[in-house]
Amino acid sequence: MAVELTNVAPAMPACWRKETKTHKFCPGCGHGIVLKALGEAIDELGIQDKVIFTVDIGCCLLAIDFFNVDTVQTHHGRTNAVCTGIKRATPDKICIAYMGDGGGYAIGSQHLVNAAARNERITSILVNNTNYGMTGGQMAPTTLPGQKTETSPYGRSVEQQGQPTHGPEMIAAMAAEGAYVARGTVAKPKVLKKYFKKALEAQMNGSGFSFVEALSTCPTNWATNAKKTWAFLEGPMAEEYPTGEFKVPGEGGKAE
Amino acid sequence: MKEFKSIVNESGKGKFYLFTELCKGCGLCIEKCPKHDIGWTDRLGIYGAPTVESGRGEEGCIACKTCQNICPECAILIEKIQ
Ligand SMILES: Cc1ncc(C[n+]2csc(CCOP(=O)(O)OP(=O)(O)O)c2C)c(N)n1
Ligand code: SF4
Ligand code: SF4
Ligand code: SF4
Ligand SMILES: [Mg+2]
Repeated sequence: MAVELTNVAPAMPACWRKETKTHKFCPGCGHGIVLKALGEAIDELGIQDKVIFTVDIGCCLLAIDFFNVDTVQTHHGRTNAVCTGIKRATPDKICIAYMGDGGGYAIGSQHLVNAAARNERITSILVNNTNYGMTGGQMAPTTLPGQKTETSPYGRSVEQQGQPTHGPEMIAAMAAEGAYVARGTVAKPKVLKKYFKKALEAQMNGSGFSFVEALSTCPTNWATNAKKTWAFLEGPMAEEYPTGEFKVPGEGGKAE
Repeated sequence: MKEFKSIVNESGKGKFYLFTELCKGCGLCIEKCPKHDIGWTDRLGIYGAPTVESGRGEEGCIACKTCQNICPECAILIEKIQ
Protein backbone atom coordinates (compact mmCIF):
# COMPACT_ATOMS: atom_id res chain seq x y z
CA MET A 1 0.00 0.00 0.00
CA ALA A 2 1.46 3.33 -1.07
CA VAL A 3 2.01 5.96 1.59
CA GLU A 4 0.07 9.21 1.32
CA LEU A 5 2.20 12.34 1.72
CA THR A 6 0.98 15.70 2.99
CA ASN A 7 4.26 17.62 2.86
CA VAL A 8 4.28 18.25 -0.90
CA ALA A 9 1.99 20.84 -2.53
CA PRO A 10 0.76 20.61 -6.13
CA ALA A 11 2.32 23.00 -8.66
CA MET A 12 -0.79 25.21 -8.79
CA PRO A 13 -0.61 28.87 -9.75
CA ALA A 14 -0.59 31.02 -6.58
CA CYS A 15 -3.69 32.92 -7.78
CA TRP A 16 -5.77 29.70 -8.13
CA ARG A 17 -8.33 29.40 -5.35
CA LYS A 18 -7.26 26.11 -3.74
CA GLU A 19 -10.53 25.64 -1.82
CA THR A 20 -12.47 25.21 -5.07
CA LYS A 21 -10.16 22.54 -6.50
CA THR A 22 -10.51 20.16 -8.11
CA HIS A 23 -12.33 22.51 -10.46
CA LYS A 24 -15.70 21.85 -12.10
CA PHE A 25 -14.61 21.15 -15.70
CA CYS A 26 -15.00 17.65 -17.18
CA PRO A 27 -12.08 15.19 -17.21
CA GLY A 28 -9.71 16.17 -20.03
CA CYS A 29 -11.30 19.59 -20.60
CA GLY A 30 -8.89 22.17 -22.01
CA HIS A 31 -10.41 25.01 -19.94
CA GLY A 32 -8.24 23.78 -17.02
CA ILE A 33 -5.06 24.06 -19.11
CA VAL A 34 -6.04 27.53 -20.40
CA LEU A 35 -6.71 28.75 -16.85
CA LYS A 36 -3.46 27.25 -15.60
CA ALA A 37 -1.55 29.20 -18.28
CA LEU A 38 -3.53 32.34 -17.42
CA GLY A 39 -2.90 31.81 -13.67
CA GLU A 40 0.83 31.47 -14.29
CA ALA A 41 0.79 34.64 -16.42
CA ILE A 42 -1.00 36.55 -13.63
CA ASP A 43 1.50 35.23 -11.06
CA GLU A 44 4.54 36.08 -13.14
CA LEU A 45 3.29 39.63 -13.81
CA GLY A 46 2.45 40.05 -10.10
CA ILE A 47 -1.01 41.49 -10.83
CA GLN A 48 -3.38 39.25 -8.83
CA ASP A 49 -4.60 42.14 -6.62
CA LYS A 50 -5.47 44.23 -9.68
CA VAL A 51 -7.24 41.67 -11.86
CA ILE A 52 -10.99 41.66 -12.43
CA PHE A 53 -12.14 38.49 -14.21
CA THR A 54 -15.43 38.39 -16.12
CA VAL A 55 -16.82 35.08 -17.32
CA ASP A 56 -19.38 34.38 -20.05
CA ILE A 57 -22.22 31.89 -20.01
CA GLY A 58 -20.95 28.58 -21.34
CA CYS A 59 -18.47 26.28 -19.67
CA CYS A 60 -16.45 29.41 -18.79
CA LEU A 61 -18.99 30.08 -16.06
CA LEU A 62 -17.60 27.06 -14.23
CA ALA A 63 -14.65 29.40 -13.51
CA ILE A 64 -16.81 31.76 -11.40
CA ASP A 65 -14.85 30.74 -8.27
CA PHE A 66 -11.63 29.66 -9.98
CA PHE A 67 -9.17 32.43 -9.01
CA ASN A 68 -8.69 34.44 -5.85
CA VAL A 69 -9.62 37.60 -7.78
CA ASP A 70 -12.84 39.60 -8.10
CA THR A 71 -14.99 37.77 -10.63
CA VAL A 72 -18.20 38.79 -12.43
CA GLN A 73 -20.66 36.51 -14.23
CA THR A 74 -22.14 38.18 -17.31
CA HIS A 75 -25.00 37.39 -19.66
CA HIS A 76 -24.21 35.15 -22.64
CA GLY A 77 -22.08 37.05 -25.16
CA ARG A 78 -21.86 40.21 -23.04
CA THR A 79 -18.54 39.56 -21.35
CA ASN A 80 -16.52 41.97 -23.49
CA ALA A 81 -19.13 44.67 -22.89
CA VAL A 82 -19.25 44.19 -19.11
CA CYS A 83 -15.47 44.00 -18.96
CA THR A 84 -15.26 47.26 -20.95
CA GLY A 85 -17.60 49.00 -18.50
CA ILE A 86 -15.54 47.88 -15.50
CA LYS A 87 -12.30 48.98 -17.17
CA ARG A 88 -13.69 52.41 -18.03
CA ALA A 89 -14.97 52.91 -14.48
CA THR A 90 -11.76 51.64 -12.84
CA PRO A 91 -8.93 52.12 -15.36
CA ASP A 92 -6.24 51.06 -12.87
CA LYS A 93 -7.70 47.53 -12.75
CA ILE A 94 -6.58 44.82 -15.16
CA CYS A 95 -9.75 43.49 -16.73
CA ILE A 96 -9.98 40.05 -18.37
CA ALA A 97 -12.99 38.81 -20.36
CA TYR A 98 -13.24 34.99 -20.60
CA MET A 99 -15.58 33.39 -23.14
CA GLY A 100 -16.21 30.45 -25.44
CA ASP A 101 -16.39 30.43 -29.22
CA GLY A 102 -20.19 30.55 -29.10
CA GLY A 103 -20.08 33.50 -26.69
CA GLY A 104 -17.46 35.46 -28.63
CA TYR A 105 -18.14 34.61 -32.29
CA ALA A 106 -21.91 33.99 -32.35
CA ILE A 107 -24.20 35.71 -29.82
CA GLY A 108 -21.53 38.20 -28.65
CA SER A 109 -19.65 38.85 -31.88
CA GLN A 110 -20.80 42.48 -32.01
CA HIS A 111 -19.25 43.14 -28.60
CA LEU A 112 -15.95 41.50 -29.51
CA VAL A 113 -15.71 43.32 -32.85
CA ASN A 114 -16.65 46.70 -31.42
CA ALA A 115 -14.41 46.38 -28.36
CA ALA A 116 -11.60 45.79 -30.85
CA ALA A 117 -12.75 48.66 -33.07
CA ARG A 118 -12.80 51.05 -30.08
CA ASN A 119 -9.41 49.69 -29.01
CA GLU A 120 -10.69 49.05 -25.47
CA ARG A 121 -7.86 48.45 -23.00
CA ILE A 122 -9.13 45.03 -21.95
CA THR A 123 -7.79 41.50 -22.44
CA SER A 124 -10.25 39.21 -24.17
CA ILE A 125 -9.63 35.44 -24.00
CA LEU A 126 -11.68 33.07 -26.14
CA VAL A 127 -11.68 29.27 -25.79
CA ASN A 128 -12.23 27.58 -29.15
CA ASN A 129 -13.49 24.01 -28.63
CA THR A 130 -15.39 23.90 -31.95
CA ASN A 131 -18.80 23.56 -30.28
CA TYR A 132 -21.27 24.83 -27.68
CA GLY A 133 -19.92 22.72 -24.84
CA MET A 134 -22.22 23.63 -21.98
CA THR A 135 -25.47 23.02 -23.82
CA GLY A 136 -24.53 19.58 -25.16
CA GLY A 137 -22.32 20.04 -28.19
CA GLN A 138 -24.22 22.03 -30.81
CA MET A 139 -22.50 23.47 -33.91
CA ALA A 140 -20.57 26.70 -33.29
CA PRO A 141 -19.10 29.25 -35.75
CA THR A 142 -15.80 27.39 -35.23
CA THR A 143 -17.09 23.88 -36.04
CA LEU A 144 -14.86 22.41 -38.76
CA PRO A 145 -16.21 21.62 -42.25
CA GLY A 146 -17.58 18.08 -42.11
CA GLN A 147 -17.46 17.94 -38.30
CA LYS A 148 -20.44 16.15 -36.73
CA THR A 149 -22.18 17.86 -33.82
CA GLU A 150 -25.63 17.60 -32.20
CA THR A 151 -26.99 20.08 -34.74
CA SER A 152 -24.86 19.01 -37.73
CA PRO A 153 -25.40 15.24 -37.60
CA TYR A 154 -24.20 14.80 -41.21
CA GLY A 155 -21.20 17.09 -40.65
CA ARG A 156 -20.98 20.87 -41.06
CA SER A 157 -21.79 21.85 -44.61
CA VAL A 158 -19.84 24.84 -45.94
CA GLU A 159 -22.56 25.25 -48.57
CA GLN A 160 -25.27 25.68 -45.91
CA GLN A 161 -23.42 27.04 -42.88
CA GLY A 162 -20.41 28.77 -44.40
CA GLN A 163 -16.74 28.62 -43.49
CA PRO A 164 -15.56 28.46 -39.88
CA THR A 165 -14.88 31.82 -38.20
CA HIS A 166 -11.20 32.76 -37.93
CA GLY A 167 -11.33 35.17 -34.98
CA PRO A 168 -7.74 36.34 -34.49
CA GLU A 169 -7.32 36.90 -38.25
CA MET A 170 -10.49 39.03 -38.25
CA ILE A 171 -9.57 41.02 -35.14
CA ALA A 172 -5.98 41.57 -36.32
CA ALA A 173 -7.26 42.94 -39.64
CA MET A 174 -9.39 45.60 -37.96
CA ALA A 175 -7.60 46.39 -34.68
CA ALA A 176 -5.61 49.60 -34.23
CA GLU A 177 -1.82 49.78 -34.01
CA GLY A 178 -0.89 48.91 -30.42
CA ALA A 179 -3.33 46.01 -30.18
CA TYR A 180 -2.13 42.47 -29.46
CA VAL A 181 -3.73 39.44 -31.16
CA ALA A 182 -2.65 35.78 -31.00
CA ARG A 183 -3.88 32.20 -31.21
CA GLY A 184 -2.39 29.52 -28.95
CA THR A 185 -3.25 25.93 -28.13
CA VAL A 186 -3.53 23.87 -24.95
CA ALA A 187 -1.14 21.43 -26.63
CA LYS A 188 1.58 24.06 -25.98
CA PRO A 189 0.70 25.60 -22.60
CA LYS A 190 4.01 27.46 -22.17
CA VAL A 191 3.55 29.30 -25.48
CA LEU A 192 -0.04 30.06 -24.52
CA LYS A 193 1.19 31.56 -21.24
CA LYS A 194 3.61 33.77 -23.18
CA TYR A 195 0.73 35.06 -25.34
CA PHE A 196 -1.36 35.77 -22.23
CA LYS A 197 1.51 37.72 -20.67
CA LYS A 198 2.00 39.83 -23.81
CA ALA A 199 -1.76 40.44 -24.03
CA LEU A 200 -1.92 41.56 -20.40
CA GLU A 201 1.14 43.76 -20.90
CA ALA A 202 -0.60 45.49 -23.82
CA GLN A 203 -3.41 46.34 -21.42
CA MET A 204 -1.08 47.30 -18.56
CA ASN A 205 0.97 49.72 -20.66
CA GLY A 206 -2.18 51.04 -22.35
CA SER A 207 -1.04 50.25 -25.89
CA GLY A 208 -4.39 48.76 -26.93
CA PHE A 209 -6.97 45.98 -27.09
CA SER A 210 -5.68 42.46 -26.59
CA PHE A 211 -7.22 39.20 -27.82
CA VAL A 212 -6.01 35.62 -27.48
CA GLU A 213 -7.88 32.61 -28.85
CA ALA A 214 -6.96 29.26 -27.28
CA LEU A 215 -7.54 26.03 -29.22
CA SER A 216 -8.97 23.72 -26.58
CA THR A 217 -10.46 20.27 -25.97
CA CYS A 218 -13.99 19.09 -25.19
CA PRO A 219 -13.78 15.29 -24.85
CA THR A 220 -17.30 15.09 -23.42
CA ASN A 221 -19.00 16.45 -26.53
CA TRP A 222 -16.43 15.27 -29.03
CA ALA A 223 -16.97 11.79 -27.51
CA THR A 224 -13.23 11.17 -27.70
CA ASN A 225 -10.82 9.22 -25.49
CA ALA A 226 -7.48 10.81 -24.58
CA LYS A 227 -5.69 9.66 -27.74
CA LYS A 228 -8.44 10.90 -30.07
CA THR A 229 -8.76 14.15 -28.10
CA TRP A 230 -5.13 15.08 -28.77
CA ALA A 231 -5.42 13.80 -32.36
CA PHE A 232 -8.36 16.13 -33.12
CA LEU A 233 -6.74 19.14 -31.43
CA GLU A 234 -3.34 18.69 -33.03
CA GLY A 235 -4.63 17.40 -36.37
CA PRO A 236 -7.74 18.90 -38.05
CA MET A 237 -8.12 21.81 -35.60
CA ALA A 238 -4.49 22.91 -35.91
CA GLU A 239 -4.76 22.66 -39.70
CA GLU A 240 -7.83 24.90 -39.85
CA TYR A 241 -6.57 27.34 -37.20
CA PRO A 242 -2.89 28.29 -37.41
CA THR A 243 -1.32 29.33 -34.10
CA GLY A 244 0.96 32.32 -33.66
CA GLU A 245 0.90 36.07 -33.11
CA PHE A 246 -1.23 38.03 -35.58
CA LYS A 247 -0.61 41.53 -34.27
CA VAL A 248 2.11 42.70 -31.88
CA PRO A 249 2.43 46.33 -30.75
CA GLY A 250 5.13 47.93 -32.88
CA GLU A 251 5.67 44.85 -35.06
CA GLY A 252 2.60 43.97 -37.11
CA GLY A 253 2.97 40.19 -36.80
CA LYS A 254 1.99 37.05 -38.66
CA ALA A 255 1.14 33.42 -38.02
CA GLU A 256 3.83 30.88 -37.05
CA MET B 1 -4.79 26.77 2.96
CA LYS B 2 -6.26 23.55 1.62
CA GLU B 3 -3.83 20.62 1.60
CA PHE B 4 -3.76 17.90 -1.03
CA LYS B 5 -2.38 14.43 -0.32
CA SER B 6 -0.06 12.82 -2.82
CA ILE B 7 1.37 9.41 -3.60
CA VAL B 8 4.93 9.32 -4.93
CA ASN B 9 6.86 6.84 -7.01
CA GLU B 10 10.26 7.00 -8.67
CA SER B 11 11.16 6.11 -12.21
CA GLY B 12 14.35 6.95 -14.11
CA LYS B 13 15.25 10.58 -13.48
CA GLY B 14 11.94 11.63 -11.94
CA LYS B 15 9.95 11.49 -8.74
CA PHE B 16 6.28 11.41 -9.78
CA TYR B 17 3.83 12.85 -7.22
CA LEU B 18 0.15 12.19 -7.98
CA PHE B 19 -2.52 14.12 -6.07
CA THR B 20 -5.40 11.66 -5.85
CA GLU B 21 -8.04 14.27 -4.93
CA LEU B 22 -7.20 16.22 -8.09
CA CYS B 23 -6.82 13.49 -10.74
CA LYS B 24 -9.99 12.93 -12.80
CA GLY B 25 -8.53 10.04 -14.78
CA CYS B 26 -8.72 11.77 -18.17
CA GLY B 27 -5.61 10.01 -19.51
CA LEU B 28 -4.23 13.08 -21.32
CA CYS B 29 -0.87 12.66 -19.52
CA ILE B 30 -0.55 9.00 -20.57
CA GLU B 31 -0.82 9.97 -24.25
CA LYS B 32 1.64 12.88 -23.98
CA CYS B 33 4.52 11.19 -22.13
CA PRO B 34 7.36 10.94 -24.68
CA LYS B 35 8.72 7.83 -22.88
CA HIS B 36 5.35 6.03 -22.52
CA ASP B 37 6.18 5.85 -18.83
CA ILE B 38 2.71 6.62 -17.37
CA GLY B 39 0.01 4.00 -16.79
CA TRP B 40 -3.21 3.38 -14.83
CA THR B 41 -3.29 2.26 -11.19
CA ASP B 42 -6.09 0.64 -9.18
CA ARG B 43 -6.27 3.69 -6.89
CA LEU B 44 -9.36 5.78 -7.68
CA GLY B 45 -9.36 9.55 -8.04
CA ILE B 46 -11.88 12.28 -7.24
CA TYR B 47 -14.46 11.07 -9.79
CA GLY B 48 -13.99 7.36 -9.06
CA ALA B 49 -11.87 6.83 -12.17
CA PRO B 50 -8.41 5.21 -12.01
CA THR B 51 -5.43 7.46 -11.28
CA VAL B 52 -1.98 7.22 -12.86
CA GLU B 53 1.65 6.60 -11.95
CA SER B 54 5.01 6.52 -13.72
CA GLY B 55 7.37 3.59 -14.13
CA ARG B 56 5.70 1.73 -17.00
CA GLY B 57 8.18 2.44 -19.80
CA GLU B 58 11.37 0.60 -20.64
CA GLU B 59 13.65 3.64 -20.31
CA GLY B 60 12.00 5.37 -17.33
CA CYS B 61 11.01 8.97 -16.76
CA ILE B 62 13.31 11.74 -18.10
CA ALA B 63 11.75 14.44 -15.86
CA CYS B 64 10.68 16.53 -18.88
CA LYS B 65 7.54 17.68 -16.98
CA THR B 66 5.32 17.37 -20.07
CA CYS B 67 2.74 15.48 -18.00
CA GLN B 68 2.83 18.10 -15.23
CA ASN B 69 2.44 20.91 -17.75
CA ILE B 70 -0.53 19.49 -19.64
CA CYS B 71 -2.51 18.06 -16.70
CA PRO B 72 -5.63 20.28 -16.56
CA GLU B 73 -5.96 19.63 -12.82
CA CYS B 74 -2.37 20.21 -11.57
CA ALA B 75 -2.57 16.62 -10.29
CA ILE B 76 1.06 15.76 -11.19
CA LEU B 77 4.27 17.17 -9.74
CA ILE B 78 7.64 16.02 -11.12
CA GLU B 79 10.84 16.38 -9.12
CA LYS B 80 14.11 15.71 -10.88
CA ILE B 81 16.25 13.13 -9.09
CA GLN B 82 19.73 14.69 -8.82
C1 LIG C 1 -29.05 34.72 -24.19
C2 LIG C 1 -28.75 33.27 -24.11
N1 LIG C 1 -28.92 32.49 -25.21
C3 LIG C 1 -28.63 31.17 -25.17
C4 LIG C 1 -28.20 30.60 -24.01
C5 LIG C 1 -27.90 29.10 -23.96
N2 LIG C 1 -26.49 28.83 -23.92
C6 LIG C 1 -25.83 28.59 -22.75
S1 LIG C 1 -24.21 28.24 -22.96
C7 LIG C 1 -24.37 28.40 -24.66
C8 LIG C 1 -23.23 28.18 -25.61
C9 LIG C 1 -21.89 28.00 -24.97
O1 LIG C 1 -20.94 27.71 -25.93
P1 LIG C 1 -19.53 28.43 -25.93
O2 LIG C 1 -19.69 29.90 -25.80
O3 LIG C 1 -18.77 27.94 -27.12
O4 LIG C 1 -18.84 27.91 -24.57
P2 LIG C 1 -18.37 26.43 -24.16
O5 LIG C 1 -19.45 25.89 -23.27
O6 LIG C 1 -18.19 25.64 -25.41
O7 LIG C 1 -17.08 26.64 -23.43
C10 LIG C 1 -25.68 28.71 -25.02
C11 LIG C 1 -26.12 28.90 -26.41
C12 LIG C 1 -28.07 31.43 -22.86
N3 LIG C 1 -27.64 30.95 -21.69
N4 LIG C 1 -28.35 32.75 -22.94
S1 SF4 D 1 -18.59 20.14 -21.83
FE1 SF4 D 1 -16.63 20.32 -22.93
S2 SF4 D 1 -15.95 22.46 -22.62
FE2 SF4 D 1 -17.58 22.01 -21.09
S3 SF4 D 1 -16.47 21.38 -19.23
FE3 SF4 D 1 -17.01 19.52 -20.38
S4 SF4 D 1 -15.22 19.09 -21.71
FE4 SF4 D 1 -15.05 21.22 -20.98
S1 SF4 E 1 -2.90 13.16 -13.80
FE1 SF4 E 1 -3.99 14.83 -14.81
S2 SF4 E 1 -3.76 14.43 -17.02
FE2 SF4 E 1 -3.24 12.53 -15.95
S3 SF4 E 1 -5.17 11.35 -15.86
FE3 SF4 E 1 -5.04 12.52 -13.93
S4 SF4 E 1 -6.15 14.42 -14.36
FE4 SF4 E 1 -5.70 13.50 -16.36
S1 SF4 F 1 8.15 13.95 -16.71
FE1 SF4 F 1 8.13 13.48 -18.92
S2 SF4 F 1 9.04 11.42 -19.05
FE2 SF4 F 1 8.49 11.73 -16.89
S3 SF4 F 1 6.44 10.82 -16.72
FE3 SF4 F 1 6.15 13.01 -17.15
S4 SF4 F 1 5.96 13.16 -19.38
FE4 SF4 F 1 6.82 11.13 -18.91
MG1 LIG G 1 -17.36 26.40 -27.19
